[in-house]
Amino acid sequence: MSFIDTDPNEGMATQQINKKFQSAQIIQANATGFGAASDDFMERGIDLNEQLIRNKPATFFFRVNSDAMLGAGIHVGDILIVDRSLTPSSGKVVVAVLNGEFLVRRLQIQEHSISLVPENKRYGTIQVAQLEQYSTWGVVSFVIHSL
Amino acid sequence: MQAIVDCNSFYCACERLFQPQLQHAPVVVLSNNDGCIVSRSDEAKQLGINMAIPYFQAKDLIEKNKVHAFSSNYHLYGDLSWRVMETMRQLAPPGCVEVYSVDEAFINLDHIPAESLQDYCVSLKKKIETWTGISVSIGVGPNKVLSKVANRLAKKSKLLTGCIVILNDTKKIQTALQNTPIDDVWGIGYSYSEKLKTYGIHTAYALSIKDLSWGKRFLGGVPGMKLIRELKGMHSHDMQTPRTSKKMIATTRMFGRTVSEWQEIEEALATYATRTAEKLRRQHSAAYGVSVFLLKKTPPQTDISHYHHGRQVSGYVKLDNPSNLTPDIIKAVVALGKSLFEQGELYKKAGVILSDFVPDNALQTNLFVAPKDQNRKKLMNVIDNMNAAFRDDILKFATSGTQKNWKMRSERRSKRYTTRWDELCLVR
Repeated sequence: MSFIDTDPNEGMATQQINKKFQSAQIIQANATGFGAASDDFMERGIDLNEQLIRNKPATFFFRVNSDAMLGAGIHVGDILIVDRSLTPSSGKVVVAVLNGEFLVRRLQIQEHSISLVPENKRYGTIQVAQLEQYSTWGVVSFVIHSL
Repeated sequence: MQAIVDCNSFYCACERLFQPQLQHAPVVVLSNNDGCIVSRSDEAKQLGINMAIPYFQAKDLIEKNKVHAFSSNYHLYGDLSWRVMETMRQLAPPGCVEVYSVDEAFINLDHIPAESLQDYCVSLKKKIETWTGISVSIGVGPNKVLSKVANRLAKKSKLLTGCIVILNDTKKIQTALQNTPIDDVWGIGYSYSEKLKTYGIHTAYALSIKDLSWGKRFLGGVPGMKLIRELKGMHSHDMQTPRTSKKMIATTRMFGRTVSEWQEIEEALATYATRTAEKLRRQHSAAYGVSVFLLKKTPPQTDISHYHHGRQVSGYVKLDNPSNLTPDIIKAVVALGKSLFEQGELYKKAGVILSDFVPDNALQTNLFVAPKDQNRKKLMNVIDNMNAAFRDDILKFATSGTQKNWKMRSERRSKRYTTRWDELCLVR
């Protein structure tokens, strides 16, 4: 990789740079013929952050350490993208804090109760009994899984 | 109106965000090198643990009460600080947020109608807490000094005030000032508060009824006059433009252990020089002034109850041309350090301070800067970008060394949950 451009013209005084700028198009035309046309369509490459991070100050990453949500496509070692600005409604996959422990589960809110539902038969649904021991930390918006 | 938004026990709150089992437990955070207590949760305050006392003085209390003590995790605090400030910037009109410190920001609320101030603050507070997980207190007043007074009262009785105090009429302002000891007025340091007490001024209210001319005469001239003017409810501090450049930038650290070899001091100084130059480039300044100080360890005193400060040696040099390039800064810093260093002494702290700034862009358009410098500037850009992308200073100058025996002690640091892929919080 070469990060450092070794253009011998670098470091010229401002006036010279301006001069260079004026003649830039001609130089390019000489070098590439029709090439210059494509420059008009140059744009920034696709940025994954735009898709995965909708609200940067509220977005956090977690690392999955259980297979409780296998059915939802969440595997051990995956990265969860958690957006705290999304409202935790029933049916959303959330990062929850129960008795001081972080859990990833599907949130189920009924009239008088909250349950955390796994998507793996080996795990049981957790009925949240005492609300003071429970809080929803954030809503999972994406999962990054390596194939 | 002016608001100040201040995070509650900020460093402790950052630790708790990723260790929710500590939500109601006493927590303290220690300064660099685990020296002093710099942040306390409410539970720790109730145990009688004081602010800014050396860790060893509170050690018994901490161990007896199972207080959780953390080393400073500046990566985590810095990231969460940015989140809190960014949330405010997104919610307030452009240019209204002025970051004051890592955990405080002023917000200009002139656009909010008086009758909606309370609702606005409640919703702002809730949004910050929901988005970032950090709880805040908000003080509102006609100017910055009074917003600070309001904020202190909000923090003092969190349950009663809901962490929000708005001083929007003369009656409320007067009561608030009467309940504010003179020591707790923004800008009044220890020596001024002692002086004011000898004049019989014990509360902010007593100071607010003094004449402006009195303040000019007895309270440090124009700043004292401005302070009294604001206590009277008038406006004098203008909203600063956000991110005003600092006038001086320093990197100073205690060594993890005492150091006696020049080579180790040199490595430390070069590392601090690198850090400081980075900070300088971030604010687009270049410095003329370079200072270095070394703190010697004093021989143990017979009276061990006193916490002795070591003897300090320092030096200053003015560069021929202002610079923010790491090699220039390292060169000056190492030369200065070498002139201060004495063989056979033990050192426990060192620091690099840059001052006398000029804007960096003035340099870039300078016709007299040699081409060599332009190339070096490009190199610095590349190094900054790579270090930002790969972390842990993947690229550095050879003087900085690779051993770092002198490196800071941080035995109880939590993980850098928000800035490192390999230190993410685990979820089951």
